[in-house]
Amino acid sequence: MSEGDMAIMKPETMKSYIWLQTADGSIQQVEQEVAMFCPMICQEVIQKGAGSSKNQAISLPQRVNPALFSLILDYCRFHQVPGRSNKERKTYDEKFIRMDTKRLCELTSAADSLQLKPLVDLTSRALARIIEGKTPEEIREIFHLPDDLTEEEKLEPLKNTMDDPRIRLLNRLYAKKRKELKERERLKNVEVEGRVDERSVDDLLTYINGRGPKVVKMPKGKKKKKKKKEQKIVSSDEKEGPQEFHDKESHDLHSEEQEGVDESGSSMREVPNLPSMEDDIFTPEAGSEDGDMDDEIDPAMKEMLDREVEDFARRLNSNWVRSRGQERRPVHFSINGNGTTRRHIG
Amino acid sequence: MGESTDIISDLPQSIIENILTRLSIRDAIRTSVLSSKWRYKWSTLTDLVFDEKCVAPASDRGVVENSLVRFITGVLLLHQGPIHKFQLSTSFLQCRPDIDQWLLFLSRNGIKELVLELGEGEFRVPSCLFRCSKLTRLELCHCEFDPPQYFKGFSSLKSLNLHQILVAPEVIESLISGCPLLEYLSLSYFDSLVLRISAPSLMYLYLDGEFKDIFLENTPKLVAISVSMYMHEDVTDFEQSSDYNLVKFLGGVPLLEKLVGYIYFTKYLSIGDDPGRLPITYIHLKTIELYQVSFEDANEVLVLLRLVTHSPNLKDLKVSASPIQLFPLEEEGFDLVERDYFEYKLPRLETVRMTDVSGIRNELEFIRFLLGTSPVLETVIVTSSLSDKDAKMDMVVELLRFPRVSPRAKFLFLQD
Repeated sequence: MSEGDMAIMKPETMKSYIWLQTADGSIQQVEQEVAMFCPMICQEVIQKGAGSSKNQAISLPQRVNPALFSLILDYCRFHQVPGRSNKERKTYDEKFIRMDTKRLCELTSAADSLQLKPLVDLTSRALARIIEGKTPEEIREIFHLPDDLTEEEKLEPLKNTMDDPRIRLLNRLYAKKRKELKERERLKNVEVEGRVDERSVDDLLTYINGRGPKVVKMPKGKKKKKKKKEQKIVSSDEKEGPQEFHDKESHDLHSEEQEGVDESGSSMREVPNLPSMEDDIFTPEAGSEDGDMDDEIDPAMKEMLDREVEDFARRLNSNWVRSRGQERRPVHFSINGNGTTRRHIG
Repeated sequence: MGESTDIISDLPQSIIENILTRLSIRDAIRTSVLSSKWRYKWSTLTDLVFDEKCVAPASDRGVVENSLVRFITGVLLLHQGPIHKFQLSTSFLQCRPDIDQWLLFLSRNGIKELVLELGEGEFRVPSCLFRCSKLTRLELCHCEFDPPQYFKGFSSLKSLNLHQILVAPEVIESLISGCPLLEYLSLSYFDSLVLRISAPSLMYLYLDGEFKDIFLENTPKLVAISVSMYMHEDVTDFEQSSDYNLVKFLGGVPLLEKLVGYIYFTKYLSIGDDPGRLPITYIHLKTIELYQVSFEDANEVLVLLRLVTHSPNLKDLKVSASPIQLFPLEEEGFDLVERDYFEYKLPRLETVRMTDVSGIRNELEFIRFLLGTSPVLETVIVTSSLSDKDAKMDMVVELLRFPRVSPRAKFLFLQD
């Protein structure tokens, strides 16, 4: 039967056709010169001799559904014609990519699986143009991305590039706080969230600009940071006195967020007062893979964490003494009996 | 599958990188706060392009400089995998130890394309650069280039662009001949250089500077040449030789498709003992652009005529006359008929653009020659440097009298 089809088809049009099967199982014939414009199909035909009959139809990749495929064929049909001017091609391309972003993504993916590089480039360029200059919120909305990063993840540097044991420790400490932070985030209203996000991006860049912890030193801002730190510690010490480490830290982190909101506009510039102590210390250079161990903390683990906190406090003390001992007296951490920490000015 | 599905995040990483590469590095890095899937998508980008727009503008130069340095260092530290292209184009950075460190880092990460356009300073290219054996493209601006003894060239280099580089002439020559695959060469801002180019794969050559002499010793594949030739004082600066420069310079480039010359290039070609007739025909040459041709000088007109008549496939011709000189040279008479130039045909010439025409005899004769020998000529565009309306009118009237062998040829007189 298929042979018969071919026999009828051929003399009529004097064209050769290729049999192609899309992922949904439907089979269709496409003019050879159009289909061969896709390198993936071209390879199947030349290397395997496939596509010459219905039972030898070339199976197209999963990502190419019939609707997308007909769109791609339109593109190929236009561009395989020789002698078109660059201007004509450009005008066609511009019209061609006028579609919603979801379709655009699917088309990019389908074109990629057919190795149709010019179309991949065209659609990628279109997607890049959509992303260009937009805020993360806008991009999330356009592409329906889940806003699944916590505030501190947005703040935190991107990758643990230094194999510093202190950073590993911090990662674990931070995991403890993750749950609470999520809880708090839920409570924040939309308007604030938006502004917080903007600040986060800027902070991210600011981090790369070198104000993040430990990767790049930025002596200029540091002094002022310390000042702020001191104030903060003094005030919290006075107001609250010794407190369970766990609670205190999360409180500080939270208040930090609020602060961040207020300062959202200015954080990109060389404003030295944004990162307070928590920024300096408790911004772990965590990969998101580190975040998986967070939610449940068993008692043994808690004990271990507390020991680490102790250890950590010691490290901090020594570190500060070393780094800026002459400028002012170091902040000391002391550990009370049940493994909690409080700070005071020594 | 509703409207609200996130499709873009699950696209193959190659596509994501294709998209991110088209964004500025700043926008690309910002994607890391979009969602957990986007966290590290940018960090394997193989092409990194930096300029001062990467950081927030500030009135204080030092602030921009410092934050730019921190930004780049941060990005390199966070990056993972090979870096194929690194471009830094900013006048804010001149010579900083950071750049050396970045280059060392890049030299260990398979750098293929390196573009360093720094501000004027004394940045000396560190030795690690010369170990980047995978380099295919190298562009340097405002650097000192002094390779170590062991350096023999970049075996993969295809494109070399040096702009205002402090380098010894012999180093340039051995660098060029040490890059056997070199296809594109651009040298600009060089002073008093006698340059010998031996590059068997070279296809595109751009020169700009005070060259005393140029020898294309082994460049059989050249398809495009553009030369801006400057001089200190006068023509006598050119090395005087008995060879005819036109033959010497363009004698070994049979595949030439496009020739562009500025300033004193035509003058340079016209120097030397006239061989009478050109020994070569440029069958591929389609475009000739010669600017600042001094039509008073019969030798320059001769260069023009010879090139045009030895390029049977010439399609486009652009010529500009020298702007009016304060003390014009005595025009040397030049009789085309006497020299049998009207015997020639320019069978493919379609468009001619003559600019800064001042209406002197040789210019008009040259246009008359083109009109009388080009059967498929379509457009002749003429702009004049004359300010006097009557003089301009006289010139136009004269030009319109010339016979045209192409019935379709039309004149366009443009005011500039």
